[in-house]
Amino acid sequence: MLTVRSVLKSFGGVRAVRNVSIEVEAGRIIGLIGTNGAGKTTLFNVVSGLLPADSGTISFLGRDITRSRADRSSALGMVRTFQTPVGFPQMTVMENMLVFDRHDSAGLLAPLLALAPPRPKPATVARAVTVLERFGLAAKRDLWVQDLSAPELKMLEFARAVMADPKIMLLDEPAAGVNPAVLDQLIETIEDLRRQGMTFLIVDHNLKFMCGICDYIYAMADGELIAQGTPGEVVANQAVLDCYIGRRPKAQH
Amino acid sequence: MEGLLLFAVSLLSLGAIYAILCLALNLEAGGAGLWDLGIVSFFGIGAYTYALLTAPAAEPHQNYLLGLGLSPVVGLAGAAVTGAITALLIGLPTLRLKREYFLITTLAFAEVLRQVFANEDWLTNGVAGIYGLEQPFRDVLTPSTLPYAFLVIILASLAIVYWLVAKVSGDGFGRALKALRENEPLAMTAGIYPFSHYLRVFMLAGALSGVAGAYYVWYNTLVVPGQFSSNVTFFVWTALIIGGLGNNRGALVGGFLFVVMHDALRFIQASSDMALFLSSLRTVMIGAALILILRFRPSGLLPERPARIAVGGR
Repeated sequence: MLTVRSVLKSFGGVRAVRNVSIEVEAGRIIGLIGTNGAGKTTLFNVVSGLLPADSGTISFLGRDITRSRADRSSALGMVRTFQTPVGFPQMTVMENMLVFDRHDSAGLLAPLLALAPPRPKPATVARAVTVLERFGLAAKRDLWVQDLSAPELKMLEFARAVMADPKIMLLDEPAAGVNPAVLDQLIETIEDLRRQGMTFLIVDHNLKFMCGICDYIYAMADGELIAQGTPGEVVANQAVLDCYIGRRPKAQH
Repeated sequence: MEGLLLFAVSLLSLGAIYAILCLALNLEAGGAGLWDLGIVSFFGIGAYTYALLTAPAAEPHQNYLLGLGLSPVVGLAGAAVTGAITALLIGLPTLRLKREYFLITTLAFAEVLRQVFANEDWLTNGVAGIYGLEQPFRDVLTPSTLPYAFLVIILASLAIVYWLVAKVSGDGFGRALKALRENEPLAMTAGIYPFSHYLRVFMLAGALSGVAGAYYVWYNTLVVPGQFSSNVTFFVWTALIIGGLGNNRGALVGGFLFVVMHDALRFIQASSDMALFLSSLRTVMIGAALILILRFRPSGLLPERPARIAVGGR
């Protein structure tokens, strides 16, 4: 479904992503782990079209999206979340949801020529309410997002992605800063969506969370892939262990 | 008493012109986060378009293009169209720029346009401007009722502009613009392409400001380049900030309030020395009002409010 081949991205002299190839098959949950600065978020930015790749190719649903802008990739059915969930601060929770509905805006002429005051489609609003209820945010729908608490923002980040009704979700650190109760709820939602056929590419640090949910994991360090395999294989991999725990000191003679 | 009434009518008419400009600026700056420092460009283009379309052909001592003597309605429509086209031409190169750069280039374009108005004699009659334009409906109305008729027309136009702007900002398109204002990368991942959205709203704001320019000529019966300095841009921004950036009603209130603060002192009969003093004083007053607003009500008299969306029919 999503194929990343030999992608390279540098910022000046820093090669943030080097030669990374990833394959995400439909209906699977693929994980991407690595320490801070490993290049995971940069890879996300390149894949979602917010940053152009220096070289390599990215294809999604059989189409080459290497040079595709973020809005185009989004129209094809790719949605991503952000590590820092700020959302649209001075817009209500409901507005945040509606913006992610693909048919919310019908251009400029429609409202100019309309006789009645504008109103979003009741079906869209109802769908937004259903999603918000699932994430425990329905009561907050008329509040500005800047007035939400951090966990609520985290939930809204995911709720918006669901609202987009995508074919693939790229989740950037969904478990970071989330308390255990909410995390369980998050896992439940991800698995629920997967049962309905959703595909995921997830970046996170939390190994327990990742191993519990992912079918296949790629590990990155310093911009490169250092390991890949099933969760069991990856956590047993020496390179990954070195990266996460640090190298075992050599035995003294 | 009659004088006071006429003065109030004149003040309200000018207030309505400013309110249209404030609504146009609020659409792009308040609604889409476009920090346009060149709103006067479209105001000026609209004014000159209106003048050239509706003025009689140039006299021997004058020099300007067209002078078709067309009806004011055609003049107004023309002003809207050229306002939008100017916005398109300025927007194409500038709307890809980030905020600060957009701000400085729009300011530069406004200055370029003012120089064009002042120096292209063949087109605009240069710094001398075009004087003595007939107020519309002079032949059907008595001179004493003309100001009232103008007030009614401009208020009706303001109502239409308000209606249009409110529809756009309350619709999905307006939501998309707000999303771009709030968080452009996130808006892009929601499928919103910034450039095309910015360009469209910029053109609409240009068209509305063009209409305001046409009414300004109608109001003054003359058009000279000095009317279109960047002061106008800053006046409109001040009015909008006082009224409430991001709130259409705030823009409306800001436009009228600004004109009252800026021009109410004109009514005082004074010696020439005193008049000079008073005219400097009004700038001081506006500045003081702006400082007080920013200190005590930084989001304006009518701040932006969360947009409530009704759930479950009704």
